[in-house]
Amino acid sequence: MGGTTVTVVLVADDDADIRDLVAFKLEQAGLEVIAVEDGQAAVEQAKARRPTLAVLDVSMPGLSGIDVCRMLRADPATSGMLIIMLTARVQEQDVEGGFSAGADDYVTKPFSPRELVTRIQALLSRARA
Amino acid sequence: MRRDRSVGSLLTRAFGVLVALIVCSGVAQSTALVMQHRVVNELSTQVQPLELANAQLRGVLTDAQRGLRGYLLTGDGQLLDTYHVARSGYQLAGSRLRDLAHDRERDAVARQLAHADAWWIIAEQQRQAPPRSTVAADYVNRGKPLFQAFVAENQALHGDLETRAAELHRRSARLSIVTTVVVIALTVLAAVTALLAAVVIRRRITGPLARVVSIIDRRRSGELEIRADASEGPTEIRAVAQAINDMAEEGDRIRGAEKDVARQRAEVRQLGYRIRSHLRVEEAIQEAVRGLADTIGADHVLVRMAPGQTDVPPLVSLRDEHVGGVLKELADCDVSWLRSGDMWSSEDIDHEGQGVPPEDERRACAAAGAGPVLTVAVSGSDECLGALTVIRDDKPAWSPMEARLVESVAADLGRGVHHARLYEREQHLVARLQEVDTAKTDFMSTVSHELRTPLTSIAGYVELLLDAEAGELTPPQQKMLEVIGRNTRRLRELIEDMLTLSKIESGSLRPSRKPVDLVKVVEQAMAAIAPAAAKGQVVLRTEVDGPLELHADPEQLDRVLMNLLSNAVKFSRPDGTVTVSARREGDEVHLSVADNGMGIPPSEQQALFARFFRASNAIHKAIPGTGLGLAIVRTIVDNHGGRIAVKSTEGAGTTVTVRLPVH
Repeated sequence: MGGTTVTVVLVADDDADIRDLVAFKLEQAGLEVIAVEDGQAAVEQAKARRPTLAVLDVSMPGLSGIDVCRMLRADPATSGMLIIMLTARVQEQDVEGGFSAGADDYVTKPFSPRELVTRIQALLSRARA
Repeated sequence: MRRDRSVGSLLTRAFGVLVALIVCSGVAQSTALVMQHRVVNELSTQVQPLELANAQLRGVLTDAQRGLRGYLLTGDGQLLDTYHVARSGYQLAGSRLRDLAHDRERDAVARQLAHADAWWIIAEQQRQAPPRSTVAADYVNRGKPLFQAFVAENQALHGDLETRAAELHRRSARLSIVTTVVVIALTVLAAVTALLAAVVIRRRITGPLARVVSIIDRRRSGELEIRADASEGPTEIRAVAQAINDMAEEGDRIRGAEKDVARQRAEVRQLGYRIRSHLRVEEAIQEAVRGLADTIGADHVLVRMAPGQTDVPPLVSLRDEHVGGVLKELADCDVSWLRSGDMWSSEDIDHEGQGVPPEDERRACAAAGAGPVLTVAVSGSDECLGALTVIRDDKPAWSPMEARLVESVAADLGRGVHHARLYEREQHLVARLQEVDTAKTDFMSTVSHELRTPLTSIAGYVELLLDAEAGELTPPQQKMLEVIGRNTRRLRELIEDMLTLSKIESGSLRPSRKPVDLVKVVEQAMAAIAPAAAKGQVVLRTEVDGPLELHADPEQLDRVLMNLLSNAVKFSRPDGTVTVSARREGDEVHLSVADNGMGIPPSEQQALFARFFRASNAIHKAIPGTGLGLAIVRTIVDNHGGRIAVKSTEGAGTTVTVRLPVH
């Protein structure tokens, strides 16, 4: 990565269409995207590639987005990563669960790709400042 | 205290004296009468006949002397006849006087008759003398002193008799006076005695009797601790006072016993309430066992439930450490011999038509102790659920009253157990229903998640296309994609509303009430709706008199207001006005959202709150909506105990008013 200023974003969602949608939109926005289809891969990629930000779907088979978030926060190498949760649920306990696991923001499905990008950029600029 | 103060003896004495006085008076009068009689008798039978005889004698002799003297002086033979008549009457008169004379007069009479006889002799001699002769005159002169001696004697006797008569008259008068005085004295004495007795008796009886009567009156008016003084007054009154005191003691004792019974009844009633208030069979039984031991003075209390009625352990027992001890055997005996309403007492032989325990139960009772055993069926809705047994280590036997109390507790226990069983069943059912409900909610959640994921893809890709991220679009393509986008949004809203409604209706979204300031909720909602209003060129107004605090779920309240506001904005024309007003009315808060938009046709206003209902004019004008907004509003308002009303005129506007209780 070295001197490049490209920001790397990890996208984890078991639904290929949504994964592609998010990846496409983020790449259009000038971000580098690592797309994975489950929690296990997300943890591995996060540790290997050290992305600046991760977009995690909450409900994934195997490790859920919340599990992944918790594991990333628990590892000193990845604890500083920005994390946005994608959730299909609006129940408060899910949102609270996400925040208590250490997410920085969350977006409920169905979401607007535009809104997602706006939130990611807001988080990144806040992190840089 | 005097020796005898009986009213009876006093009366006896008083009447004794009175009777004695009356008898004395009678005796005095009788004595006087007898004496009077004697006096009169003496006067009439002795003195007066004697006087008469004496006078007759004198008359005879006077006639004889006058006749003789006349004859002698005149020679008239007629006069001599007078003499002869007197001469012949003399013997009779003389003998009558002699006969009548008693000892004291006899001498005087004899002397008189001697003088008379002497005169008669002289007189006979004179008669034979020739009349008008000196001889005759001489005889007259000789006979004169004799006659005078006779007259003197006769006079003397007459005087004597007169004196005696006068004496007798005086005696009679004196006797009469003495008698009168004595009788008057005795009468006065009797009167005084009677008066004294009356006064004394009155004083001795009336006072103490009045005190006793006043004690009775005061007791009747409620002074139950008061007692009559049994140490004062005459014996009879003391006896009455004592009887009243005895009666009072007996009354107190009965009252005390009644109070005890009433207290025990009240305790048993309280125990019944407590037993029935338990929602678990075992707790109800434990309450009965504890309560009975305390209230009724049972040394051991045992409740056995019939097998198959409840799965409560067969023995829930007693207040001491005898479990597994003397009651062990009895606890293991089954109670199938008891029928609903049965009662069996070890002391009582009279149990016709009632269940009699089998031999092993009797043996177990005997093993539990020698004291009286009472077993009552615990019945719930006509079936025997079990048995309640109370045992005393020693006498006394269970009284009928105690038996009734135990029966009452058994009845309450039966009801309590019955209710607790129903409640447990209910609880089970509720748990099942909750499971079903949770499953339903989970299902809804899963469905919504499953629906949202494909929706996200559709909406996302439509957005990418519309943003020309995949290349420029032709106007028809643009328009078609907008249609897809609009319907995707509608689908999304439908899913959201359905999920919300389902949650609210299933109760998993129960209002969590807390004090909410409605003014703040209105402000937030106005801010949230402002962009949509601006887009539709709708003017927003608020008419709120703050502060307006009420007890409600803030999120649900916000939802109500947002749904109403978004409807109002949605159905308003450009330059229309939406007014939110809120005010307190008594114990309610009135919140209304009014618009001057298209309104609702009158025929459709009834169906407004039905799910998926949409007004025909809204559909006609292709105004988007799910038809669930008002259904959600209504459900929330209902859950808060409020009411909702709609007033609408087609083409002029709609006002929705929500009334919510403050508490």
